[in-house]
Amino acid sequence: MSAPPIRATYALVDHHGSAVTEATYRGSWQLVQFGFTHCRVVCPRALAKLDEALDLLGDGSPVVALYVTVDPERDTPEVMRAFLAADHPRFTGLTGSAAQTRDAAAAFRVFARRGADPDEIRHTAITYLLDPDGRPAHHWPDTADAATIAADLAGYVLA
Amino acid sequence: MLGPAPVPAPPHAGSRNAVTGHDGPPTVGQMSGAVLDREQLGHLRHWDNLSRQWPNDWSLMQGKGTSQDDFGGYRFQLAYMVYGLALTHRHRLPAAPGLFRPTMQRLIEKLLLPEVWLYWRDVSRGGAVFNAHLVDQLHEEWDPVVRDNIMYSAYVQSCALLHDHLFAEDRYAAPGALTFRHWSFFWGGGEKRFSYDRDSLTEHLYWQMVENGYLGVACEPNCVFQICNQPAILGFRLHDLIHGGSRADEVIAGYEKAWADFGRLDENGHYAMMVLEDSRAVRPNEAPSPWVDAWCGALMTMWNRDFVHRHYPCQVAAFLVPGDVSGDDGTLSVRSAPTREVMGQTLVTDTCDTGWVSAWASEMGDRDTLDRLLAHVDRRMNPTWRDGGLYYPRNDTPTDAHGRRTDIEPMTGNVLLGYARLNVPDGLWGLYQRPWGPEHHTEPALVEVDRDVEVSRAEVVDGVLHARLRRETAVPGEGRVVLGRLPEGARVRLDGVEVAAPGGVVDVPGGPAVDLVAAP
Repeated sequence: MSAPPIRATYALVDHHGSAVTEATYRGSWQLVQFGFTHCRVVCPRALAKLDEALDLLGDGSPVVALYVTVDPERDTPEVMRAFLAADHPRFTGLTGSAAQTRDAAAAFRVFARRGADPDEIRHTAITYLLDPDGRPAHHWPDTADAATIAADLAGYVLA
Repeated sequence: MLGPAPVPAPPHAGSRNAVTGHDGPPTVGQMSGAVLDREQLGHLRHWDNLSRQWPNDWSLMQGKGTSQDDFGGYRFQLAYMVYGLALTHRHRLPAAPGLFRPTMQRLIEKLLLPEVWLYWRDVSRGGAVFNAHLVDQLHEEWDPVVRDNIMYSAYVQSCALLHDHLFAEDRYAAPGALTFRHWSFFWGGGEKRFSYDRDSLTEHLYWQMVENGYLGVACEPNCVFQICNQPAILGFRLHDLIHGGSRADEVIAGYEKAWADFGRLDENGHYAMMVLEDSRAVRPNEAPSPWVDAWCGALMTMWNRDFVHRHYPCQVAAFLVPGDVSGDDGTLSVRSAPTREVMGQTLVTDTCDTGWVSAWASEMGDRDTLDRLLAHVDRRMNPTWRDGGLYYPRNDTPTDAHGRRTDIEPMTGNVLLGYARLNVPDGLWGLYQRPWGPEHHTEPALVEVDRDVEVSRAEVVDGVLHARLRRETAVPGEGRVVLGRLPEGARVRLDGVEVAAPGGVVDVPGGPAVDLVAAP
């Protein structure tokens, strides 16, 4: 699979309140997932799957796992930190203003739209991999399982 | 529904289901020694003839609409000839790649001509009732596949992939193999050139799908039609078959979720026609229009067969009328929706209702309805033979003196009636779900077929190539076929008499059809 044709740029705030861009994590592979902490189905499944993939990859791999919100109004840095610390401590949450998160989604060609239920946001569940220079390297659809992602990841980051 | 047909059923090759349910095993792809009938061969010949017209000679293909905007445009005629050829090759003449390959290539070449896609330069600007409020955000776009316009881009994509899948080639994978270019001596400055290939175009369409939450890519700006996203799904499937991966499954899963908010069917049980991208308002199949259900059903069945079959009987019943108002003569015609008035204007468009319902009935295996529709067109829509080809010429007259439907569009008369005759029950489903594996391309086959050779049978049974061939005197040619992939020491017989076949070349004698057998 060829590298996804995305810009993969962002200017956001991490869940500690620090400003970050794609250059912040230069030197590490970035595993990027978009979602929102109130997501009931897609995100819990995706995050659990990525946790499993990272477990399979093993400790010490040069991968930074990032969870970028599409719901900046509710997902403050504090909310994201608490949510991720509880169940997905490998992940760093990224948020920002509505314009910043919208720009980030557009840069990854992520779809996000509030549904009829105001608590629900439909969003793309693709997982992206950026190389240590911040360039797009790979992506996995929501249907990819943990073993596949782990095997692909190993091919990139442990090569 | 309707009573039994007193008209004799026209001969059809191959086995057909008369039912629409699918509890049993699939029936597609069965080889039975069947031969194509005269009408089926006539449609194939007509498609070949159209493919050979000079560039920008669109004789017999011009419909009512202006500027290729509407549903009878050249792009649809060209694409569905390619689809029809693909189905015929897959299900009826699998050992005749040499018959289909050049015709598909010529049709795809025409599909890339600017006359086919230049409408997009204007349609991209908006201004229709469903996107007039967006004109400030839109602009003139020359590249016909870069944004929206899935009603064109997906056909280019899927036709190129069909070719490469069926013939195990990478013809359209070469950089620039799908290039859209335009230059005029008279206006417009320098050349416009937009280069793609089957894979870059597929990648582009895939990411458009992703960006739109898999709801689909728009046709005209702001208008996401269910129908026009189905060919892209076919393209993704063919891409997966060639390259591996599961893009089609991914897109379908996303499509199902996205449309769950709106419902694939409207409140009357017909297919929802489209969703407006900005307002998320659904346009039902109001009226309803036969083409909306028929076109959507004939395509969507490839990945959603049970659903399409389940709703077909009720949907199609709304559109069929006995062909003779004075009594049931066994024929059926299609009742179109009343002509719409929009912005104070009467809408002039090729609905292609007769053609789409016929193609749908064919895919559904509804032999009774199909035969009765074909009986109607054969009696009342002027079947015409030209250069050995069969077509039904355009006629804008709505009915005859007895109120029986007579109007027919080029898309129906050139393409869809042939598609309906040549397809088999679940034919597109079979193409999608039961693709050929690599072993198919190692079997003996007619790898070249001269223009004047008619092929009514071409299949391999137990390693033996069987073909029925006839010289067609209505068109020029050398009367030769080339046999390829023959086993070592194969012997060739024509009507039981062994003939020399140096280099696999066989001269087809004039006169009646001959049976060719090439066996070890």
